[in-house]
Amino acid sequence: MQINLQEIVPDYISKDKVNKSQIWGKNLIINGGEHLHIVAPSGSGKTSLMHFIYGLRKDYTGNIFYDDGDIKKLSTEGFSSFRQNKISIIFQDMRLFENQTARENIEIKRVLDPYHPPQKIDEMAKRLGIEKKLSQSAKTCSYGEQQRIAIIRSLMQPFNFLLLDEPYSHLDESNRKKAMELIYEECKARNAAMVFADLKPIDFLMDEKVIYL
Amino acid sequence: MPLSYKNIEPLIISGKNTFSKWMGYFGLGIGVLMLLVSMQIFINIQQLLKENNPRKNGFDFISVSKNITNENMGKDNTFSRADLDKLSSFQGIEDIAPLIPNQFRVKATAGDIIPFSTDLFLESIDNSFIDTLPQSFTWQPGQLVVPIIFSSDFLEMYNVFAPAQGLPQLSEKTISSVNIFLECSGPKGAQNFKGNIVALSDRINSLLVPKSFMNWSNLYFTGDSLAHASRVFIKTKDANNPRLISFLENNNYHLNKDKIKFGRIKSILQNIVSALGILGILVIALALMLFSFYLQLMIAKSKDNLRLLLTLGYSPGWLAKSVVKTWLPVYIAIIVTALIITELLQILFLQLSFVNNADLSSMLHWSVLLIAILLLAVTVFINSGLVKKELSKII
Repeated sequence: MQINLQEIVPDYISKDKVNKSQIWGKNLIINGGEHLHIVAPSGSGKTSLMHFIYGLRKDYTGNIFYDDGDIKKLSTEGFSSFRQNKISIIFQDMRLFENQTARENIEIKRVLDPYHPPQKIDEMAKRLGIEKKLSQSAKTCSYGEQQRIAIIRSLMQPFNFLLLDEPYSHLDESNRKKAMELIYEECKARNAAMVFADLKPIDFLMDEKVIYL
Repeated sequence: MPLSYKNIEPLIISGKNTFSKWMGYFGLGIGVLMLLVSMQIFINIQQLLKENNPRKNGFDFISVSKNITNENMGKDNTFSRADLDKLSSFQGIEDIAPLIPNQFRVKATAGDIIPFSTDLFLESIDNSFIDTLPQSFTWQPGQLVVPIIFSSDFLEMYNVFAPAQGLPQLSEKTISSVNIFLECSGPKGAQNFKGNIVALSDRINSLLVPKSFMNWSNLYFTGDSLAHASRVFIKTKDANNPRLISFLENNNYHLNKDKIKFGRIKSILQNIVSALGILGILVIALALMLFSFYLQLMIAKSKDNLRLLLTLGYSPGWLAKSVVKTWLPVYIAIIVTALIITELLQILFLQLSFVNNADLSSMLHWSVLLIAILLLAVTVFINSGLVKKELSKII
């Protein structure tokens, strides 16, 4: 299992930025089990890169291969299956169903291809300190709580790659650590690769290959 | 909780936008009912009037004679060769056949069993114009038995006056066993024959004998083989063709349309029922449009939720199927209800006093069931296609 980025250049980015980047316009292979930490300031294309890999956007040149298959060429049904059990994501903007409860938001993802039993939701919520928020609608939760709901949702499915797009932007130090431990455990259990994008290097990350975008 | 539509239902069903949905369902129900009922009535009319329809292979056969007026009374009102040529050359007339009458006297008796005696007229016509032509309808010189094709109207008339005259009534089957003795006589001679009714005709009001007998006997009894027809049968695709009618009227011909009226009534009835069916199809189309507006609105309102579901990995095919499942049971219920109502109406139809045809089934015709299934398939196809199209716009 690997993701192969071949000379990816977003359509909108300047040549100067491409030359300075360790990813844009270069070749990069992300192998199963690998931890990659992409560091870049705001506006340099972290979210774009995540969306390119997840298949949400196609406004780039170059190719992204998942094993031997070009992600750009996946059919709509192919993308569904890709997102059900090969790749998972924590969006920077969370993307929750506002009127659904926290539990419903997580369950909607879990039932697609259940990796964990429903009880695991309670267990993870307890670890991240949001067990009392599970029956509350997402829109009434704080950003930090919504971020933890989105993290648990992303861990409910089987995956070989987990994409994290500034997943801790609204979490304090203690909650970041708890969330990170949970994510490490889940990736290890699946021998999955983790691609973590953030504004600056995070000190408690372990064994990360740090790349500057 | 397994993967099911219930999980995502609150994300798709949007608010109180149900007016167009229920109007769509209602319209569909009315339209389907109209279509199915009109189809079944169409088939009923077809079956009920089948046996009485003198129209054959798409042709009308009508009798034409010259109008008898005070001015031409007593004159020769038979058709000349020129008259016949003019008739046959008219566009819209496929074929003509003159009815050749007897020129000699014919007296008929029915033997000892039925004490009945009358002067008769006989006619002959081309065999191709006879609606009920048995193989036995032939005659050769020397043959003493003459086959006769009897008008079924005459039989009906006979059965009306027979009891008052102390005569037995006759069924269609027994009439063939009645012995008719024909006493033919003319200036050149006389001879007796035995007449045998071999068939009844709905089309031709006459007593028909084979042409060979008519030609032989006219010559034999009168010495004159030139018999002129007072009536001519016309074979046409449409006896109600205005051009044909005005042509005949301009030539002062009288058109006997009695025999085609039944067929015309049937045709008018079927046209009315067909119009009802077409109206049904239009109502169905309108109902489908209304329902499609509801679906489009529903998808447009749920666009953000649907997009997020697709982002999370929900398959567009599964989502489309799930949306289809919300209205499919209602559609099936509507069509099954329409079928049940049509069946009840069919049973009621059979109770009507004028319907006494044993051939008419109380069950719906298979083609009505087939149309119901086809309708279901078409509506599912159209609506699910629409849902898929709308979803693909979101991706």
